[in-house]
Amino acid sequence: MSSRVVRIELNRVEGDLDFELTLQDRVVVDARCIGSLYRGFEQIMIGRKPMDALVITPRICGICGTAQLNAAVLALEQLANLQVPATALHIRNLCLMAETVQSDLRQSFLFFTADFCHSKYAGRPWYETAVSAFLPFKGWAHKGALEYSRQMVEIVALFGGQWPHSSYMLPGGVTSPASPRHVLNSLSILNKAIQWFETRIIATELDQWLAIQTNSEFFNWLDGKPGHSDSAIGLFTRIGRDIGLQRLGFGTPHMLSYGAYDHPEQGDKPSALRDRRYRAGFLNGDSGQILPFDQTKVSEHVRFSWFQPYSGGRHPFQGQTIPDYQPHTDRYTWCKAPRYQDNVVQTGPLADALIDGDPLITSFYQSEKGSAWLRQFARLRRTAKLLADMREILGELGKRSGSPHIIPPHSSEFPDGEGYGLVTAARGGLGHWLQVTDGLISRYQVVTPTAWNASPKDSEGRHGHWESSLLGLEIDNPDDPVEVGHIIRSHDPCLVCTVHMLDSDTRISIRP
Amino acid sequence: MKSLLWLQTGSCGGDTMSVLCADSPSLEELIDHFGIRILWQPSLSTESAASLERTIDAILADQLALDIFCVEGSIICGPNGSGMFDPYRGRAKMDWIRRLAEKAGVLVAIGTCAAFGGVHSAPPNPTDCLGLQFDKTTGGGLLADSWRSRLGLPVVNLAGCPTHPNTMTKTLAMLATGIPLELDHLNRPKLFFNTTVHQGCTRNEYHEYDVEDTSFGGNACMFFNLGCQGPMTMAVCNSELWNGRNSKTRAGVPCFGCTSPDFPLDRDLFLTEKIGPIPVNLPLGVERANYMAYKSLAHDAAPERVLNKKMDT
Repeated sequence: MSSRVVRIELNRVEGDLDFELTLQDRVVVDARCIGSLYRGFEQIMIGRKPMDALVITPRICGICGTAQLNAAVLALEQLANLQVPATALHIRNLCLMAETVQSDLRQSFLFFTADFCHSKYAGRPWYETAVSAFLPFKGWAHKGALEYSRQMVEIVALFGGQWPHSSYMLPGGVTSPASPRHVLNSLSILNKAIQWFETRIIATELDQWLAIQTNSEFFNWLDGKPGHSDSAIGLFTRIGRDIGLQRLGFGTPHMLSYGAYDHPEQGDKPSALRDRRYRAGFLNGDSGQILPFDQTKVSEHVRFSWFQPYSGGRHPFQGQTIPDYQPHTDRYTWCKAPRYQDNVVQTGPLADALIDGDPLITSFYQSEKGSAWLRQFARLRRTAKLLADMREILGELGKRSGSPHIIPPHSSEFPDGEGYGLVTAARGGLGHWLQVTDGLISRYQVVTPTAWNASPKDSEGRHGHWESSLLGLEIDNPDDPVEVGHIIRSHDPCLVCTVHMLDSDTRISIRP
Repeated sequence: MKSLLWLQTGSCGGDTMSVLCADSPSLEELIDHFGIRILWQPSLSTESAASLERTIDAILADQLALDIFCVEGSIICGPNGSGMFDPYRGRAKMDWIRRLAEKAGVLVAIGTCAAFGGVHSAPPNPTDCLGLQFDKTTGGGLLADSWRSRLGLPVVNLAGCPTHPNTMTKTLAMLATGIPLELDHLNRPKLFFNTTVHQGCTRNEYHEYDVEDTSFGGNACMFFNLGCQGPMTMAVCNSELWNGRNSKTRAGVPCFGCTSPDFPLDRDLFLTEKIGPIPVNLPLGVERANYMAYKSLAHDAAPERVLNKKMDT
C-alpha cells in the first residue's frame, strides 16, 4: 500500500480553503479541511455600538449579506425585546428568498455543473449536450443563470437600495414600505425568472413539478417527455447519476436546520418563539428522529484550530475568538469546530428539506441516503419552492400598501444583555450571538453555515462533515481528482476564499 | 485582446458578486465585445487551480503579458508581518501581489478593502491589513507612494464596499479599449467619483429645506440625525442606480461613506455627530457659518408638502 498526502485546489467556490488528503493507493484514509484565511470580524465588533453590527456583519459575506443582516437584526431585536410589523417580516422574507435564489442559481449553474464539461467525460454519450448547456459563458444554462441571478437581486435592491451589502433591516422593521411600485417591479422580475425556470430548468410549471412526491414519481416524470430529460434538471439528474454522484459524499448523517422565514403575523413574539415557514430541527441520523432544535446545545471547539486553546466546546455566549497561529503543530485551520449536542452535523438545503419534511427529498433520502447528488438536487428543489413562495408573498405585499413597515424603538440605546439571531442562509444555518455591556458590544460570535460543514476535528477527534464526506472515496486519477470537486462543490463551499488540497511533493488539480 | 487576472486577498467575495450584477456593460460583454480575456477569476474560471499556478509563474517569468491585474480584498500583513493569515502556495499573498504588480500594465484595486484597507482594517485591525497603495487615508500601503505600473499609472482605486457593478465594468472597458482614465486625489477614476451620493438622492428636497428625519423608516433626509454621509461621499450610487433599480439612500438606508478611505468610521454609524445643533461634518465644501444661516432660512421657507413629509421618495 502506498500512502501519500495530496493537495488539490478548487476554484468556483467562495473562499480560501485547503484540503490535505492522505491516500492509501487511491482511497482517501484521512482528510484535513483547512480554512486558510483569517479576517477577524468578531474582534472588530467588540467595543462598537450595537447598531454597527448592521453595517459591519453583512460584510462577512458577499453572497449572503442579507442573511447576515437578518441574523444581526434578530439578535438586536431579541436583546431589546422589540416587535416587528407583519409587512416588515414579509419584506424581509422576500429579500432573503431572492438572495437564496441568486445563490442557488449561481452555485448550481456557474459553479457545480461546469464540472460536467470536464474532459474526463468527453467520451460519454451526454457530453455534447452537457457542453451546450453548462459550458461557462457559452452554455444556455450558464448564460441563463448569469442573467436571472442578476435580475433576482434587483428585488433586494428595490426594498433595500442595493445588493450586495445593504443595511435596510433595522430593529423594528425595514426602511422602505411595501410601495406598489416596488411590488409590481418585483413581480415583473419574478415572473420573468419563473418563466425561464419553468421553460429551461424544469420544463414544467412550478406547481406541477413541486407536486412530485416520491422518487419513482420523479423518474416517471423524467422519462415522461423528451423535454423533461433535456431540461437543466433532467440533464443534471441523468449526468449526475450516470457518474455515480448518488453514491458519493454522504458525510455525517446528522442534520441541523434553524428553520427559515418568520411567520409574518408573529412579529410581536420574540423571534426565537415565532413559527417559521420552514421548520427548525435536528435530524439524528442514527435514529432517524427529528428533534426540536435548541440553541443552547450549540458549542464550538478549537482543539485543531489556530485560536487560543480552551478545553472541550463552548456555547457562543461563552465563546472567544483570539487568533493563535501555530503553523507547526497539529492545529490546522481558521475554522472552529461547531457541534450540536456533541454531534458532527451538516447544514444546508438537504438538511433543511429533510427536517421540513419535503416528501420528494425524504423519499430519495430513505432509499439512497444523503449523497452529493441529492444535496445538489435539494438545492434546485428549493429554488422552485422559493420562486413559488415569492409569488405568494408579493401577492400579500400588494395588499399591504400603507401598512406600517417599521416600529421605531423608543430609544436609540440598547439595554445591556444578550441576544441571538438564527437564520437560514443559502448554505444553511447561520447564527449571530451578541452581548452588550455598558452600551457597547462586548462579545460577538458568528457561526456560519460553512463553519458547520467545513469544521475540522473537535476535542474528541471527530472529523468535520466535509472531511468525513471524503473519507473512503476512491479517486480514479489522483492527479486529476474530479470526484473531489463534485463532492466538495455539492456542499456549496463558502470560505470566502479557494479550495486547495495539499500535496507534499506533487500538486494535483481539478480540471473542468 | 487584453489579459486580465483577478485575485482575491482578504475579501468577502462581495465585489465578485457585484461585478456579476453589472449590466452596462455586463461581465459577459467585457469578454464578448471589449476584448478582455480573463486569465483567472476565482469564482468563474473553469481552468484548474494548477493552471492558475502556471499562469502566475508564466507572468512572473515574462512569458505571459499581464495587462490588467485586479486585486479584490484587503492586503493582510498579520500575524507579525508574516502575511500568513492569508497565504497562497505556502507564501504570503501580499508577496505574490507585490511581485505580480511589477508585471502589470495596470493594477486595479477592486473595492475599498484593496484600495484603502476597508472593513477588515477597522480597529483593532486584527489582521494588520492595508490597501494596495493606501493605508486608510494616507500612503503607506503595500506599494510605495511613488509606485507606478508598467503603463505609468498608480493603483487605480475602484473604491466601494462593494464597488458599484457598472463602475467596475466601465473602468475595465476603458482600460481595455484605451480610453484615458483621469484619477482623483485618491486615485479613483474621476468619471465615477466626481459626484456626491447626495446628488440625485430623491430625499434631496427635504435636505434643501432642512426637513430631517429623527427615526428610520421615513421619507425625509437622514443627514442631520441618522448618520447619512451622502453629502460628503463621492460615488455614483444616485446617478447610476444599483442593480439598475435603487440606491441605499433612496431606500431609507444612510450612506455609510463606503467609497471613502476611512470607511467604516470608528463611531456610531447610525448617528450624526454634532457640535451643539450642527453636524461636525458638513456637506463637502460648506462653511459652518453659512450653513447655520442658510439652513434656518431654508427651514422657514419650506413648503407645507415638504414640512409634513407627505412626499414620497
